[in-house]
Amino acid sequence: MLDTTVAIETPEHVLFHYRLAGPVQRWIAHLLDLLFLAVILIGLAVIVAMMGTVLGVGPDAGQLKLQKELSGTTTGILLLIVFFAQWCYFACLEAWKGTTPGKAVLGLRVVTLEGRPITFSSAALRNLLRAADALPLTQFMGAIAPAGLISMLSTERSQRVGDLVAGTMVVKKTERSNQGGVLVWPPPEPHELAHIPDDPHLSPEERTAIELFLRRKKRLGPARERELAEIVLPLLQQKLGHVPHDPARALGLLYHQAVNAGRKDAPASSRNISGHPTPPPPGRPGRPHA
Amino acid sequence: MREVTERSFVERRQTDWLSLEECLGPSVMQLLPKQIATLAQLYRNACADLARAEAAQYSAPLLTYLQELVGRAHARIYDLHAREKRQRTVRFQDVRATLASFAVAVRTHHVAVWIATFMFFGPFIFAALYTWKHPAFASNFMQPDDLRNLADAYAEGFEGGRAFGTDAQMTGFYVNNNVGIALRCFALGVFGGFGSAVYLLYNGLSTGTVFGFITANGSGANILTFTIGHSAFELGAIVIAGAAGLALGWSFVSPGELTRSESVRRTGMSVLTLVFGAAIMLLFAALIEGFWSSSGIPSEVKRAVGIGNLVLVLSYFIFAGRKREA
Repeated sequence: MLDTTVAIETPEHVLFHYRLAGPVQRWIAHLLDLLFLAVILIGLAVIVAMMGTVLGVGPDAGQLKLQKELSGTTTGILLLIVFFAQWCYFACLEAWKGTTPGKAVLGLRVVTLEGRPITFSSAALRNLLRAADALPLTQFMGAIAPAGLISMLSTERSQRVGDLVAGTMVVKKTERSNQGGVLVWPPPEPHELAHIPDDPHLSPEERTAIELFLRRKKRLGPARERELAEIVLPLLQQKLGHVPHDPARALGLLYHQAVNAGRKDAPASSRNISGHPTPPPPGRPGRPHA
Repeated sequence: MREVTERSFVERRQTDWLSLEECLGPSVMQLLPKQIATLAQLYRNACADLARAEAAQYSAPLLTYLQELVGRAHARIYDLHAREKRQRTVRFQDVRATLASFAVAVRTHHVAVWIATFMFFGPFIFAALYTWKHPAFASNFMQPDDLRNLADAYAEGFEGGRAFGTDAQMTGFYVNNNVGIALRCFALGVFGGFGSAVYLLYNGLSTGTVFGFITANGSGANILTFTIGHSAFELGAIVIAGAAGLALGWSFVSPGELTRSESVRRTGMSVLTLVFGAAIMLLFAALIEGFWSSSGIPSEVKRAVGIGNLVLVLSYFIFAGRKREA
C-alpha cells in the first residue's frame, strides 16, 4: 500500500494521498487511446476514399485528373492528421483536461509532483519523450515501451522517462463516497446489543475487514455469508466475548458498536459558514440528504 | 477522540462539501461573487473535516472522498498559473518577445547549437565530397533502384511544375516525416545526448551522400535549385532539434550543483522553446518544399529567394531580441 501512494501536504497541514497508476493500467490506457485514434483515422480515410470514388467515376480525362488531384490533396491532409495524432493528441488533451480518453476510462490523470494540474509545457515535454520511452523500438507509437517500463518499475513514483523530465506522475481515482459508513441492517435492537461489549476496541485493519465484509454482504448467498463470517469470527472472539448463533449478524453488531457507540447522533444542522442552514444545491438528484 | 457518528457527521457537513464541489467545476473566473467569497472558508472547513474524519477513523470511502475533495480544491486554489490564464489581452510587446524568444533560446544554448552544427555539417560535407568522387559510396545508404530513381528525378529539372494534388500530398509527407525526425532527434537525446548525436551524424551523412551522388550524375545545379529554398529552414531545424537533445542529455551527464533529476527537468523546460521553434521552422520548410521548390518557377528566382531565406534565418538568429537581452 505504502509504495503505491504519494503523500502531499497542503499549506493547511493536511496530508492527502494520491494513488499511483501502475505500468499495466497505463499500458491499457495507452492502447485504448491508440485504438481510439485508429478508429478515427480509419473512419476519416474511408470517408475520403468514398468521396474520391463518387467524384471521379467518369471515364473521361477531366474527371480522372480531378480524381488524381483530389486523392493527392486528401492524402496530404490525412498525413497531416496522422502527424497531429502522433505528436499533438496526447499533449493537447493532457494540457487541457489532465487526461486522455483512454486514461479517463481507467480513471487515470496526470498531475505534477506537487499534485497540481500540469501546464502545457509539461504535457508537451512528457509526450515528446514518448519516443525515448519506446526505445529500443521506433515504431508502433509506444504501444510497447521497454525503456518506459524499466523506468516505471525502477522509480519511486512509477514515472516513465517523459514523466521524469517533465516532473509529472500519473495518479488513479479511488473509490469514494460522501455517504458515510455502512449501516447495519436491520437496525440493531437493544436486546441484541446487550451481548456486545460497550466499547470494543477494533484496530483499523479489523474495522476495514468487517466493513468490506458488510459491503459485500448483499451480493453473497446466505451460506457463503455464514462461511466467511465463521472464518473471521475466531479472530474477534475475544472482543465479542461470547459465541453467537449468527456469526454474520454478530460481526455487524460488533462493527456498529465500535463505530457508533459513545458517539452522538447529532441532528443535521449546525455548522454552516453563513450561520444559517443552506438548502442542498439544485440539479444534483440522487444525493440523499438524510 | 469520539464525537459524532459517521452518519451524522456526513449529514451535518455534506451541504458544505457539495457547495465546494460546485465551486470546483467551472474555472475561477466563472464563479459567482458569493462563491468566491466563501471558497476559502469552504476549503479550510473541508481540510478540518478531513483531519477530523481521519482522527475519528471513519470509513475508507468517506476519507477518500474528502481527500479528493481537498486535493481538487487545493489544486484550484494554489494554481500557480491562474494569473497567466486570466491574462487574455495580448500586447504588441508580448508578441514581439514571443517571436524573438526562439532566437534568444538558440543564443542561450549556443554551445549545443555549435556542436550540433558540426555534428551535422561535418559528415554532410565529407559525404558530399566523397560521394562526388566515388558515387559507389551512395550504395551504403540506398538500394540501387532507389538511387536510379533519385538520379532520374533530378535529371529533368522542374520547369514543368507539378499538379496541386501532388504538391499537397508531398507537403503532408514532409510534415509527417521531417517534423517527426526532428522531434525524435530531440527526444532520444535524453539518454546522455547519444540518440541526438546518432541522428545528427546519420542524417548529415545520408543527406550529404544524396547531394554528392546527384552532383556526380551531372544534376548538381538541379538539386541545388530544388533544395535552396527550404534548406535553411529544414537543415537549421534539424540542427536545432539535435542541439536541444544534446543539451538535455548533457544536463543529465553534468548536472552541476543541482540533483540530476532537477537538472534534467529545468533543462527540459528551457529547451522546449528550441523544439517548438524547430517544429515551426519545419512546417515552413514543408510548405516551401511542397509548393515552391517543386514548382516551375525559373531557377534564377528560386536561387535568389533561397539565398534570401538563408539570410533571413541567420539574421533572425543573430539579431532578434538583442535589445531585450541587453
